[in-house]
Amino acid sequence: MLSVVLKISARNVWRQKKRSFLLAGAIAFSMFVITIVNGLTGGVVDNIRVNFSHALGGHVFISGSEYREQGIVYLIADEQALLDSLAHYETSIESITRRSQAMPSLIFGSRQAMQLVYGVDFSEEDKLLSSLVVTQGSLERVTDEQTIILPRTVAERLGVEAGETVLMRLDTITGQRNVGEVIVAALIEDQERYGISAAYVNRSYLNSLLGLRPEEYQALNLFLTNMDDADEVGRGFREALGVPQPATLADIKEMDEEEAVRELFGMARVEEIEPWEGIKYQVTTINQIMEPVEAAVNVLRTIGLAIFIILLVITAVGITNTFRMILIERTKEIGTMRAFGMQQGMVRNIFLMEALLLSGGGALVGFVLYGVVSLVLGQISWDTMPAMQFFLDQGRITFDATAREVVLNTCLILAMSLLAANFPAKAAAKLSPVKAMSSNL
Amino acid sequence: MRKLMSVLIVVLILGCSAAPVLAKDLSIIEEVLKKVDEQSYFPDTDVTALMSMIIEDPEEGLEKIVVRYFRRDDGERFLLLIEEPQTQKGQGYLLEGDNLWFYDPSSRKFMHTSLKESFQGTDARNADFSQLTYSSSYKVVDYDEGKLGNFPVYIVDLEAVDDRVPYPYAKLWITKEGNLVLRTQEFSLNKRLMRSGLFPSYARVGNGVLPTQMIFIDELVEGKKTQITLTEISTAKLPDNVFTRAFLERASR
Repeated sequence: MLSVVLKISARNVWRQKKRSFLLAGAIAFSMFVITIVNGLTGGVVDNIRVNFSHALGGHVFISGSEYREQGIVYLIADEQALLDSLAHYETSIESITRRSQAMPSLIFGSRQAMQLVYGVDFSEEDKLLSSLVVTQGSLERVTDEQTIILPRTVAERLGVEAGETVLMRLDTITGQRNVGEVIVAALIEDQERYGISAAYVNRSYLNSLLGLRPEEYQALNLFLTNMDDADEVGRGFREALGVPQPATLADIKEMDEEEAVRELFGMARVEEIEPWEGIKYQVTTINQIMEPVEAAVNVLRTIGLAIFIILLVITAVGITNTFRMILIERTKEIGTMRAFGMQQGMVRNIFLMEALLLSGGGALVGFVLYGVVSLVLGQISWDTMPAMQFFLDQGRITFDATAREVVLNTCLILAMSLLAANFPAKAAAKLSPVKAMSSNL
Repeated sequence: MRKLMSVLIVVLILGCSAAPVLAKDLSIIEEVLKKVDEQSYFPDTDVTALMSMIIEDPEEGLEKIVVRYFRRDDGERFLLLIEEPQTQKGQGYLLEGDNLWFYDPSSRKFMHTSLKESFQGTDARNADFSQLTYSSSYKVVDYDEGKLGNFPVYIVDLEAVDDRVPYPYAKLWITKEGNLVLRTQEFSLNKRLMRSGLFPSYARVGNGVLPTQMIFIDELVEGKKTQITLTEISTAKLPDNVFTRAFLERASR
């Protein structure tokens, strides 16, 4: 029975090629729009996550602090608990980077700017180097001891160019003043608006200014073989190192403003810091850092979904009207089929199947169109737009619409089409064979 | 040739034997430093003054900060209450022994800070408003005698004994008469000059002295300096509650 319904429906769809093409085209356009929005936002989130992880030097970040008489000293030691955790997650860890960091005043002539500076071992940070978008200078001599890679906006604030020397005024870990001289090797595209604006120097040189030994470090960052394991690995390290699990955005919504700021940014707006013994660790994952970004992208997704639903409603009105016309056009035909013994249910099913074929075909075409467009756009290099680089993968747009999203959108289209065609289908089924055959239409 | 060698050997032997005789007696300078510290300490009297700070910043231009200064060295306490500019009015610093608190009336919070930190982004440090501790914080490495203007001075090279002071190395110009520090130079851990200080005038307070004019020059940022002038100096006894957090909160309203 189904094959008969399918055969008649397919023939009917094929009979009015132009009308079917327009209707399926509208559905295809809706499908294309929502899939491209999903794909683009998915790709952007993936790229930001990868670029963030390269800039920050990992997927899981472990830092430590020690309470000393002179104050808090940021430092990591190879404690047993940490070593055990590293051994436990050995298979999940692709590589490890070790960094120092400071917030010095960078000085050039009479100008100065505060800037986060990471001390990195460039020989183990090839991912970082490959992710940087150089706007001036080059990364060739970056391994020289006293060089700095500077964000472009900071360089503009200081009025410095690649090849010139800037002073770096900072405090050692025990709070003594120190100053270094570094040559600007390269200027890189700044990501300040996305929460990352860092300059990079050689770790051993930064350590010498901070009063650390060359091999010491303040943060241990882990690149995982699978970035999706970041939360699980982070949780494991927190448990092993006695670090409390972090609050989520959902928890923060319940907090007052001050509490939320403290949780989000780790700010110690407390009256007095209680001294502690040994090293106090802090474990952060890339997903925690990405939470605000994902929240912003979810807004985009919601807007995309709203547009999609509006397009679907418009298309649904079109489908209803078209099927009402079809009903009028085929009144006699329906009467004849009913006279030959076709049941009411089958007449209804033929209408509904036609709607399904149109919407299913439209959705398929929309998805294919998404594939073609994403393939073409993915081939274009956007290197001339440095501000966009943080959203891109090596200068190229990537699309990542998940199967769940595609299936959900297709189901929405099919359901909407069935709903829109339901009323004309019911009306067609209820037609009296005698009246239908005697109709002048 | 042999004669020349003999002369050289004799000169060397004489030089070596004379070295201990020529070695400088650093204990003299250690005594001078103790006197410098002692006369910056006012155990028997409270001090009140109005501090005007003129900050010259090549980027920001000129800025003026007016601060009411209360000090009681018996118990290592001071209170700095900002009166100008309007945007910072009510902010204050309270030193209670080893603890230095910063109070911001907008958040009504006390935050822990340090004597090593700079005062409100100026070239002055919070420690500049407290008693001097050169003799305990530094050891004398070398000294020289010279003149600064018309004043005969000791020019003293210091090295910090531990990492409690922000500048690990310092150089002082101290008058031979009166033991007044007229000029300072402070150096980073890698011995780069970071800050210079000039103290051209002093006022007598009890048995000690208080600089009434201080000029701090940022030696890294071209053209950046801070000039501090103390006026309305008084040694009248202050109520005990002045050096409390409650007073700072009340005064900030």
